[in-house]
Amino acid sequence: MTVLAQAAPATGITPGATSLLWLLPALPLAGFAVNLLLGRRLRALSGWIATLAVAASFAICVAALAELLSLDGPERGRVVLRGWAWFAGVSFDLRFDQLSATVAMVVTGVGTLIHLYSIGYMAREERRPTYFAWLNLFVASMLVLVLAQNFLVMFLGWEGVGLCSYLLIGFWFDRPDVPAAAKKAFVVNRIGDAGFVVAMLLIYAEFGSLDFTEVFGRAAGVGSATATAIALLLFLACAGKSAQIPLYVWLPDAMVGPTPVSALIHAATMVTAGVYLVARAQPLFEAAPAAATTVVLIGAATALLGALLAIGQDDTKRILAYSTISQLGYMFIGVGLGPVGAVAGIFHLVTHASFKAQLFLGAGSVMHANEDDTDITRFGGLRRAMPVTWATMGLAWLAIIGIPPLAGFWSKDQILAAAFEHGGAGVLAWAVGVLTAGLTAFYMSRMFFLTFHGRPRWPQGRHPHESPPLMTVPLVVLALLAAFGGLLGLSAERGALQRFLAPVLSAGAPPAGEPVVSEALLATLTVLISVLAVAWAWFLYGSGRVDWLALRERYAAARRVLVNKLYVDELYEFFTVTLGRALAAFLAVNVDQRAIDGGVNSVATGLLAGAERGRWVQSGLVRTYAVGVLGGAAVLVAVLVVGSIR
Amino acid sequence: MHVLAQSAPTPQPIEAPPIAWRAIAPELALLVAGVVVILLVAFWPRRRSAAAVLTLAGLAVAAGLTAWNWDLEEVGFGGAFAADGITRYARVVLLAAGALATLMAWHQARADRGAPPETFGLMLLALVGMSLLAAASDLLVAFVALEVLSLGLYVLAGGARRPGALEASMKYFLLGAFSSAFLLYGIALVYGSTGTTGLRGVADAVRDAGTDQTLLLAGVALLAVGFCFKVAAVPFHMWTPDVYQGAPLPVTAFMAAGTKTAGFAVFLRVFAGALGGLVTSWRPVLAAVAVVTMVAGALFALVQTDLKRLLAYSSIAHAGFLLIGLVAATPEGVSAAMFYLLAYAFMVMGAFMVVQYGSTAGGVERTSLDDWRGFGRRHPVAGALLALFLFSLAGVPPALSGFWAKYFVFQAGVDAGLTWLVVIGVLASAVAAFFYLRVVVVTYLEEPAPAAAGVSPAPLLGVALALAGLLTVAIGLAPQVLVTAAQAAGRILA
Amino acid sequence: MLLTATIFTPLAGALVLLAVPRRAANLARLVALAVSLVTLGLAVALAAAFQTGRAGFQLGWTADWVASLGIRYRVGLDGISLPLLLLTALLTPLALLGAWRVPQRPRAYAALVLALETALLGVFSALDLFLFYIFWEAVLIPAYFLIGLWGGERRVYAAVKFFLYTLLGGLLMLVSILGLYYLQHRAGDPSFDFEVLRDLAKSDNAERWLFAGFFAAFAIKTPLFPFHTWLPDAYTEAHPTTTVLLAGVMSKMGVYGFIRYTVQLLPEGARAAEPVVLTLAVTGILYAALVAVAQRDFKRLVAYSSVSHMGFMVLGTFAFTVQGIQGGVFSMVAHGLVIGGLFFLTGMLAERTATSRIADYGGLQRVVPRLGGVLLVLLLASAALPGLVGFVGEFLVLLGAFLNNRLTAVLAVGGVVLAAVYLLWAYQRMFHGEVTSERNRALADLTPREWAVLLPILALVVALGIFPGPLLDRVEPAARQVAERVATVQATTP
Repeated sequence: MTVLAQAAPATGITPGATSLLWLLPALPLAGFAVNLLLGRRLRALSGWIATLAVAASFAICVAALAELLSLDGPERGRVVLRGWAWFAGVSFDLRFDQLSATVAMVVTGVGTLIHLYSIGYMAREERRPTYFAWLNLFVASMLVLVLAQNFLVMFLGWEGVGLCSYLLIGFWFDRPDVPAAAKKAFVVNRIGDAGFVVAMLLIYAEFGSLDFTEVFGRAAGVGSATATAIALLLFLACAGKSAQIPLYVWLPDAMVGPTPVSALIHAATMVTAGVYLVARAQPLFEAAPAAATTVVLIGAATALLGALLAIGQDDTKRILAYSTISQLGYMFIGVGLGPVGAVAGIFHLVTHASFKAQLFLGAGSVMHANEDDTDITRFGGLRRAMPVTWATMGLAWLAIIGIPPLAGFWSKDQILAAAFEHGGAGVLAWAVGVLTAGLTAFYMSRMFFLTFHGRPRWPQGRHPHESPPLMTVPLVVLALLAAFGGLLGLSAERGALQRFLAPVLSAGAPPAGEPVVSEALLATLTVLISVLAVAWAWFLYGSGRVDWLALRERYAAARRVLVNKLYVDELYEFFTVTLGRALAAFLAVNVDQRAIDGGVNSVATGLLAGAERGRWVQSGLVRTYAVGVLGGAAVLVAVLVVGSIR
Repeated sequence: MHVLAQSAPTPQPIEAPPIAWRAIAPELALLVAGVVVILLVAFWPRRRSAAAVLTLAGLAVAAGLTAWNWDLEEVGFGGAFAADGITRYARVVLLAAGALATLMAWHQARADRGAPPETFGLMLLALVGMSLLAAASDLLVAFVALEVLSLGLYVLAGGARRPGALEASMKYFLLGAFSSAFLLYGIALVYGSTGTTGLRGVADAVRDAGTDQTLLLAGVALLAVGFCFKVAAVPFHMWTPDVYQGAPLPVTAFMAAGTKTAGFAVFLRVFAGALGGLVTSWRPVLAAVAVVTMVAGALFALVQTDLKRLLAYSSIAHAGFLLIGLVAATPEGVSAAMFYLLAYAFMVMGAFMVVQYGSTAGGVERTSLDDWRGFGRRHPVAGALLALFLFSLAGVPPALSGFWAKYFVFQAGVDAGLTWLVVIGVLASAVAAFFYLRVVVVTYLEEPAPAAAGVSPAPLLGVALALAGLLTVAIGLAPQVLVTAAQAAGRILA
Repeated sequence: MLLTATIFTPLAGALVLLAVPRRAANLARLVALAVSLVTLGLAVALAAAFQTGRAGFQLGWTADWVASLGIRYRVGLDGISLPLLLLTALLTPLALLGAWRVPQRPRAYAALVLALETALLGVFSALDLFLFYIFWEAVLIPAYFLIGLWGGERRVYAAVKFFLYTLLGGLLMLVSILGLYYLQHRAGDPSFDFEVLRDLAKSDNAERWLFAGFFAAFAIKTPLFPFHTWLPDAYTEAHPTTTVLLAGVMSKMGVYGFIRYTVQLLPEGARAAEPVVLTLAVTGILYAALVAVAQRDFKRLVAYSSVSHMGFMVLGTFAFTVQGIQGGVFSMVAHGLVIGGLFFLTGMLAERTATSRIADYGGLQRVVPRLGGVLLVLLLASAALPGLVGFVGEFLVLLGAFLNNRLTAVLAVGGVVLAAVYLLWAYQRMFHGEVTSERNRALADLTPREWAVLLPILALVVALGIFPGPLLDRVEPAARQVAERVATVQATTP
């Protein structure tokens, strides 16, 4: 830490809160160390220590943000805290600009709330210290990822969050499916990270540096082929981390982890790292239009796929997982659109963090009340049993389906508007986005109604109850954020967040010309579709007029395809695991043991066999020996004499 | 035949050459000692220890004389006897080998009442032959010396009271005689073509264009046969395993070190020296012999189950490596070979001593590998020594004499542009390592044999072993002095 | 002088051990540990005296050995050898501590470990090619006995195979060394001095042939695919702490040889062989990783992972870029620590369960959480997780390789992905899920002694992962020198 202490802030920075930036990751890291080393002694305290650590770094983050805001124009961009040198020419520098500040706020803020919630939620778990240690380590890594000033340090955080995700998904390692899910998450991410590594190699080869300022400064000058390659490789990493096609398969399985983990890591923060990276690397993506378009299209496709698959699920957390995948798709559409949509994408990242975290924690609260059950077909009518959860989740529900004036409406609408104005692939993305909005409204309403409305369907002897304040307080706070978060950016041009982020994200944005179709019209269209979807869902699942159980029997075939996630997992399973193991076994036995090792050994055995065969010579009979001498002599004479004659 | 008649020179009157007393003093000392010891045991057969002591005394005197005329560089007896580097160096090796063999025999004599008492005297006489052979600068002298040492060894080989022994000595005798005939005929042919048996004369004749090449080369071939037999080069090696196995251990050890040394000394003197001018003609042939010897020796050793036979084949393989030095036919080659002989003498005798230590009880030798399972665990010191000698024979560093020996001949080979031969040598020594390792495996890594061989306390062997082991390590750590000495042996007088 | 003391302190200790009565096992253990700690102290002193940022050799010492042949005792350190020296000095005491409860003959075990340490230290500090060869082969003998005497069922097979396979490689290297000597001898005074031979002008053709000899030795020792099949047997059969030294230190001899000798002595040969070597390295990385997936025995799995990682180091070396070589050297240290720790843990698990089959474990996380935690950290380090030591080296290697030949680097990245797969899958099968075997319910977690073994490794694994600077700065100048050496050749040859 001493090294960090000496680190001098870069030019233009009055040594203040920003010079304490290093505490942001350092505090949770300390919390991690404390919980890991003396967790056993701390017992109940461990949760509070962890929460305190994150809360403290939230406070510092706020202070630093305030200081950032106090700065004027150009310097805002490059608040860099120099750290000690690592290797490959990079140091542990921290960058605190509008973008990283925004995301850091989300991470520490939502992080604090979820830590708090966890104290209550994990009250019965005896390995609490370990849990909080991992959770703290996660926050620390996430902050390293966000505050990194170069690709290598970012990768450190990138892998760090992956590790924590692995550890926390596998927290209940002796439950069925858990180890497999944890490993799947890590390995799938590893595949994406390979893209990150190769991208870094390419960047270093091209720019001779991995530092953001260096690289982005000269990004425009690179050949578009190289830029495209770099951008696509980076996006591969994003697809892994942010569960986009084709690497989204790990996220639903990850839901076997503790629910607060799903909320923090697999909804609010880690999975949005990909979005952050694309936004961060804007200059590279601007230099590679093809790659940017790819991001938009993949985003759109994923949004649609996620929404579709969500409809087929009966497990609350899986529904929310697919919904996350789908919402991340929206964000990628945004950041993929370049300067115009990037802000909207990040805006959606922020709002989504609030309402999706809320939804997960709410789901957790429901599970808490129902003996860890997650099957919505066994809920129903929980509204009376747990009013707070119902009310708060209701707000988040309306937020995610984009009902004005709640947060989700603004951010989603701005993404769609940007897409529409962008034209070309953007319009396609817009159409898909609108359709997806409808689907989202449908499956979210389905979940909400089946959980809280209609007749109670839970088994005998189960007594649902409201959760303790430790859990409900975060629910309320997040619900309020979900409700009013929109105030941050009421308009794409004049919103507070937009103007704040503009210098980093939409510097090169073209002046918004007169829109072809008025944004209001587009917005109303989207909202209209959503409302219709909600109504339809209410008719099916809320009103009680339709026997939806009978209904699902009728469309069993179609449903099975959705339930089985279009059999994508099975496909992957076959091509990676099955074939991979077969190949490995073949190499290990036939090639390694039989061919190579067998070849080596056969040399020795061959020699022995040869010697055995030659033994008859040593018959022990003088005459054979004499023949030997005579023959040898004959040969010697012959050769020498003949040689001389020639 | 008429070829011979034509080239037959006019016989000159023979005048007795002056006697170089000083030069030949060591051999005389050995001769005297030998006669005395034989007479002693003839009258007092029980006095084995006295005989042993006398033998050692004789050897000591001979050693002293050797040291005394260390700087002597002369060719005496009208060119028949050369006192030069090779002679000097060979004497050192032979005397050392003799001393160690004597200690072994003494130990045996004490362990086994029935051991033949003549051993000591015969060894001394054989040594006379060996030493003369190494110094012989005239083919006829060489032949006589060869016969002297052989006669001694024939008798010695039959010395053990065991079924194999007599057969072994019989084989050795018959085949020895057979090969001697070749040698003699070779000498005749050389004389026929060059008109002399003196090496200097031969050397001059070789340079002289007028000499009858065909006849000479035929002679050269037959000389090669005779020498190859003595040094146990393939395909003239077949007696070796049987004789090594049949003969009593002290004799086997003595032969392994002594005969090889004497044989190679004369081989080098004649071929690298006198016949050096013909090197281009005989190099291919002897190179081929070297290859066959190295490969066959290493290969056949792989499948041996008796320690003595195994060491016999190893000695064949080593003959092959030594031949590289000969084939190089350069001063480096000669000195490398001489160094090799010195190192080899100690390691091979050391190995045989451990075998004797571990296997002789009441005159019965247990040399089958099975009896040696776990030997190293029961006898840590002896086992360690055996491992030391075996690793040295295998030529595996760390810096043991055997490694340097191999290294020097290889270096000489590369220097003489025989890299291909060296590569084969390297591969052969890899194979050789395989069977030396087998012994180490048996003695260390395998569980002790049920019938653990009883071992009698052996102060004498202890001394001998200590000497051999010490020298093997010392030569390995500081080879410089002996290298220098060997380099002197590179200059052959004629 | 200090360096020489460091090298031979362990050997001296080994000799002292022989004086310790065989019964006093604990005394022997303590003496051995003390000696190795003294050695570590000396090594640290060397590191302290080492001047960072300076190319060329430091802290050297020279003495004549076999002057007439230009063989000298010359040792010295540069940025490439210093880290390996430290690694050796660190792992040896840990190994002795880890082998505290070695079943039988603890005294002999300790003595052999110390002897091995001297040989290894010698290999890394020798600057005379001949001396290097001696130390190189000297490693074989203690290693051979360590594997053969304290191992599993098939230990003898493994030991013999290891010995012969590596010996063969060494002998072929000897031929190349002789070849260099020959060239040098033609050019001037005979010498084996590294720098003399490096500056000696060699024809491209000669370099290619000489390279082949060195390549044989280094490729087998490293081992490079497809010369690796001795490794799984040796690593699996040997006692775990022996394997720590084999995998942690001995395997580095090969890569070190590549960097120090092939690349610097024979840059042209190395350049010519680059395509072949790179192909083998990359093939090995992926192939071994895949084979590891199929392993049922955890020790074997780690052994194959080691083969895969060694491929990275060779890849970095033959990229001939500063980053590549720097990364190669750093990876050697990283791999030494990580693989060492992993084999310690396999040993600790085997000690508790008397098995290393993955199927016999399962659900151990509940039983031995701490052991599991340490294992996980090391596995992740082995899978090159950023922040741990493995990442720094492998990323630099990839960087260096990418700058040289993009395809190789991209393929190698696949190896990194696979590493995560097979390591975590093994961890999952061993530690996650329910406890599968009743016998495993009552296993003890790490003892203080075991912590003492593991903590230094853990500390370094984390520290060097975050602060690689101190090490990298020392390697950098030497790495640059090597890279430039090749660059000049590439410049001159069209």
